[in-house]
Amino acid sequence: MKKVLTVALCLLLALCLVSCGNKGGSSKGNAKGASDAKGSDNIRVAILTDATGIDDKSFNAAAWRGILDFYGDNGAGRGTLYTNITAQSSDDYLPNLKNAAAQGYDLLITTGFTWGDSVTAFTKDYPNQKVIIVDVDWLPQTSNLIQYIYEEEQGSYLVGVAAAMQAKADGIENPKFGFIGGVPGATITKFEVGYIEGILSVFPYAEIRDYYANSWGAPELAKTQAKSWYDSGVYCIFSAAGGTGGGTIDQAREYRNAGRNVWAIGVDSDQYEDGIYAGGKSAVLTSMLKKVEISTVDALKKVKDGTFVGGVVKQNLFNNGVDYSTANAELSDEAKAAVEQAKADILAGKITVPKTVKELMERHPALGKLNAIDD
Amino acid sequence: MAIETRKKRPPSLIGSFRATSVAVVLLGILVGTVIVACVGKNPANLFKAIWQSFVGQYNRGMGRWSFSPLGNTLTYAIPYVLCGLSMGFANRVGMFNIGAEGQYMMGMLAAHAVAVCVPSFPGQWLLCIAFAIVAGAIWGGIVGVLKARFKISEVVATIMLNYIALYLYRLVALYILPEGISNKTYQTAPLATGSLLRGIGISVRNGVVVLGDFQLNIGFVFMLIAVVAFWFIMEKTRLGFSLRATGFNKEAARCSGINDTSAISTAMAISGAFAGLAGACVLLGSLRFGRIIQSQDNYGFMGIAVALVGNSKALGTLIAGILFGALRSAYSLMQFMNIPREVVNIIEGLIVIFIALRSGLEIVKAYRAKQLLKKEAR
Repeated sequence: MKKVLTVALCLLLALCLVSCGNKGGSSKGNAKGASDAKGSDNIRVAILTDATGIDDKSFNAAAWRGILDFYGDNGAGRGTLYTNITAQSSDDYLPNLKNAAAQGYDLLITTGFTWGDSVTAFTKDYPNQKVIIVDVDWLPQTSNLIQYIYEEEQGSYLVGVAAAMQAKADGIENPKFGFIGGVPGATITKFEVGYIEGILSVFPYAEIRDYYANSWGAPELAKTQAKSWYDSGVYCIFSAAGGTGGGTIDQAREYRNAGRNVWAIGVDSDQYEDGIYAGGKSAVLTSMLKKVEISTVDALKKVKDGTFVGGVVKQNLFNNGVDYSTANAELSDEAKAAVEQAKADILAGKITVPKTVKELMERHPALGKLNAIDD
Repeated sequence: MAIETRKKRPPSLIGSFRATSVAVVLLGILVGTVIVACVGKNPANLFKAIWQSFVGQYNRGMGRWSFSPLGNTLTYAIPYVLCGLSMGFANRVGMFNIGAEGQYMMGMLAAHAVAVCVPSFPGQWLLCIAFAIVAGAIWGGIVGVLKARFKISEVVATIMLNYIALYLYRLVALYILPEGISNKTYQTAPLATGSLLRGIGISVRNGVVVLGDFQLNIGFVFMLIAVVAFWFIMEKTRLGFSLRATGFNKEAARCSGINDTSAISTAMAISGAFAGLAGACVLLGSLRFGRIIQSQDNYGFMGIAVALVGNSKALGTLIAGILFGALRSAYSLMQFMNIPREVVNIIEGLIVIFIALRSGLEIVKAYRAKQLLKKEAR
């Protein structure tokens, strides 16, 4: 038996050595490149994420894109100038922040509110380590922490206007609109309220329905709901529901492929490609863009210029933090013109978009009961 | 018969359980090294990261040596060792407890509920831990009773109970426990300050010891107590003897007057208690906020590997748990050295596979011994 094991081990080792030998050259090359890059006086940054890392095609990916934009080196500086550290579970957050601080990075980027408590505990113990967090504005303010918060209602207003104007251009009488949310809460309410306000600015008495799947990862629920709404004459559905929203786009794609005039609206990043069906057309009319990369670039610039000041930074139309997508060629010119006008009006202060159900209801008392909540 | 053959032969290196455990770990790290080299990274950094997770590293931000990685290693070791004890305890009684994850979550939930619902008072953490241990024991005990009374496979029952525990946790945390101030879908009301586990040592800041930035909480002491308790119950008591006897041969144990039904139920309950304690330690010691669990933390599952490497013995599990804690601590450190994070997972996976290989070897050995006996008989 011992012999068999010994033979097996030897074989394994031999195999390993052979495959190792092949790659020896490339490993040397890498090491050399790394030491070269270290010579420059560039700032160094670490982005700390949860287990999904920077390949989540969404939030983390956008933050990473911002870093690549800032350095403009197509990822060559990864591992020297910038790096991504992932956590296996939430009890890794604080240790990872501390390990990052030990490496002497100029800036630490944390994405998402799940990091909130750990960042608060960390900034207290490390007053000289600059940190940013995205999607949070309620942490205790310290001089070394910038909290970036997005005003999603503005972007949602734009896609609401786009959907309504598209319906108008298509000559649809009394069009109905739908909103599908993930888990109800104040953040998602901003999306819904902005969207509804946008629609009502075009059709003041439009019928609007909303639905919450109570999950960020249940596309089948969104799909069922979207099907029944489309069947009952809903023209366009905006889903701000993470993975759940994929179900809406799926259903819209099926129906458009079957020749029906219905639309879906994407969220966070441009979901145009997710909606592509036969003939290269997409069922995603437009997307509400939430540009997380703007925040990382902003923070990196501030660190570089030495203008990093702790506090809350709002990301909105004024600094291009939210926007809408014009990727779909079928989005009519009238709609685009109206959205551009709405954008200008918001920038000029002529339009203020409500953030809460309460504000929305005060403006539109005739609106039916919504499932959104304000806390 | 297997025991007999082992007695006859002098203890060979491969035959020894301890030696194989060490060999298996070394082999896992060795293959990990090769993989690191194959993807074109410097394998020395892998060892550097593992080394640092024991001895600390130079903190560039603070400008001095920092023992924080060692603190992380020992903090991670708390749930690893406790879940390893959970798995090991059941294993010694001949049960395969895949349910440590669920028992861990139920323990965490009980501690969470006490920490959030009861107004803060000094020593509240003791109450939290007591509830966690009881909750874990109940969750494990259910499986034991199902197995002993109704012959329901403990593997199937524990897997299902893991899911029930996860969703029960979410349900209770979302709808029954007091709501949080912000992010109500992610966290409940904050844990009472009296419920947080204190740091070990002299200087205490924010309830956590600051020795440089070395952090360790009192859960570590509970973990050490659990290790001793495991050893004492298993090796030194009548209960432990009856449990081990049941593990060796249920029918034989019953024939000699041991109540195997009660042995199995008791073993699963004690097994669950260890995991429940782990849940409380992670929540009150590491997380320190009312997290609404999103998915399994996987400490329970890693406990299986820890117990296998530790041969289901108290001291072995302690050492194996600290080793896994070090690997976990190195997981973050090596990412700073450009080693792909997957390597740690691969090393952990390899250790498990090699351990399984050893178990396979035992089966082959037993089979060969049988063949030999047959031959002799002929």
